[in-house]
Amino acid sequence: MNRSTPDSIPDSGPTDQAHTVFDPSVARFRAQHPEDTFDGASGVLFEQAMAQTRMAICLCDPHAADMPIVFANRAFRHLTGYEEHEIVGRNCRFLQGPHSDRSSLGRIRNALAREDVTVVELLNYRKDGTAFWNALHLGPVYDAEGKLVYFFGSQWDVSDVRAARADELHARELARELSHRMKNMFAVIGSIVNFTGRVRGIETEAREINDRIQALGRAYETTLDDSHRGTVEVGQAIRAVLAPYDPDGTRIRFEGNGLRSDFASVSVLGLSLHELAVNAIRHGALSRDDGRVTVAWRRNGTSESPAIRIDWVEHGHGVGDTSHAAERGSGAVDGIVDRMLDMARGGIVREWNSEGLRARLNIPLRDAGE
Amino acid sequence: MSGMHRASSEPCRVLVLDDEPLILLDLEFAVEDAGCKPLTALDLVEALAIVRNNAISAAILDVSLGQGQTCEQVARTLAAMGVPYVLHTGDLDRMDEAVRELGGTLVPKPTPAAVVVARALEPLAARQ
Repeated sequence: MNRSTPDSIPDSGPTDQAHTVFDPSVARFRAQHPEDTFDGASGVLFEQAMAQTRMAICLCDPHAADMPIVFANRAFRHLTGYEEHEIVGRNCRFLQGPHSDRSSLGRIRNALAREDVTVVELLNYRKDGTAFWNALHLGPVYDAEGKLVYFFGSQWDVSDVRAARADELHARELARELSHRMKNMFAVIGSIVNFTGRVRGIETEAREINDRIQALGRAYETTLDDSHRGTVEVGQAIRAVLAPYDPDGTRIRFEGNGLRSDFASVSVLGLSLHELAVNAIRHGALSRDDGRVTVAWRRNGTSESPAIRIDWVEHGHGVGDTSHAAERGSGAVDGIVDRMLDMARGGIVREWNSEGLRARLNIPLRDAGE
Repeated sequence: MSGMHRASSEPCRVLVLDDEPLILLDLEFAVEDAGCKPLTALDLVEALAIVRNNAISAAILDVSLGQGQTCEQVARTLAAMGVPYVLHTGDLDRMDEAVRELGGTLVPKPTPAAVVVARALEPLAARQ
């Protein structure tokens, strides 16, 4: 059933229909297409939605020559800058311009031919010649008998979204380039240290220095991906540092959540774990085929002075082992772990039981992280 | 490590390609330590000349050689000759698809030179 339609609709100004007061084009469309109006309360709501939505919408007539636009709502006119009389009766292609992509136009043609619903992003042009990225959502409209009556097109200006996407891509590429350069730089530093050690006849010392430097590099390797956040995921840094000491991934077990830390804590954390692993390989659980290590990390301390607590627990050292003394001794050679942690206002507590070393590290978080 | 010899007492030759001289220095020593003869190349042209003029047993190839060049051509030549090689790279993700498809063992940078060389020589030990 069609509602009565006014005989003439003023071009502007208020009409007697509250729901079309903002957009007389709806009423005009209804006047010209009396057979296609919508019944009852849902029809009123639909027309209100059409008129007031910020989503640009148009309807095209597939049965008329060159599929002209028969309706364009206010948002469509606002988006494109054209007046209603400049839009109605024309094919949608008038929005295309010099840099519109042929392939996306082909996808639109295919969707229309197959009566598909699809979304195509294409470059369109406003009346003033400025270009905008249009996420065009198009599809068929059928009547109650299932006959195709219109195609709808809804246009959304996604220029900002695309710019943000491009920025993000750029940032990712930059981070990757930086990461590549950093890894190369650490490789070069390693070469210099090795070379120096060799020509000076201090290869053992050089290797020790190099192993520490490379552990540091691994600890920071993961930070580039996170550079925009200003914090580092502790677990990633720990895994990266310890990866070479467990190539098969069977000896070291990791237990921790998504705890994050400030950048500055990463060097102390990374180097400490490296030293513990080297010790475990020389004297502790990792010196035995069946030995294992569990590394657990969690947030500790008060909310005013938060800290990272790391538990390093060796399993399978064996009661009979007598190398505890050696292990303690080796740790004291330069005491780098203790001294680093002291300097970071943290600390380490070591205990030996029948299974081997249990070490508890405390590293204050300078920036409360997240 | 020793005994990486071919049929004769002549040590096996290992091609080492990297556009960074300091890394070449380090790898050169590590190859010598493994009892092999290092042949170093700083760029594609040098590497291809070495492959042409020497019987190479294994190779260590830096993937990205600067100016957009990659080791692809060398890798392809070695693969055709059945010579094993490792790809030594700081960016496994960005590694050229074409290079990745060639196969070859990936060794991420930085890895200690002795480990890189050991990985490169693994296939030879397996053959003996």
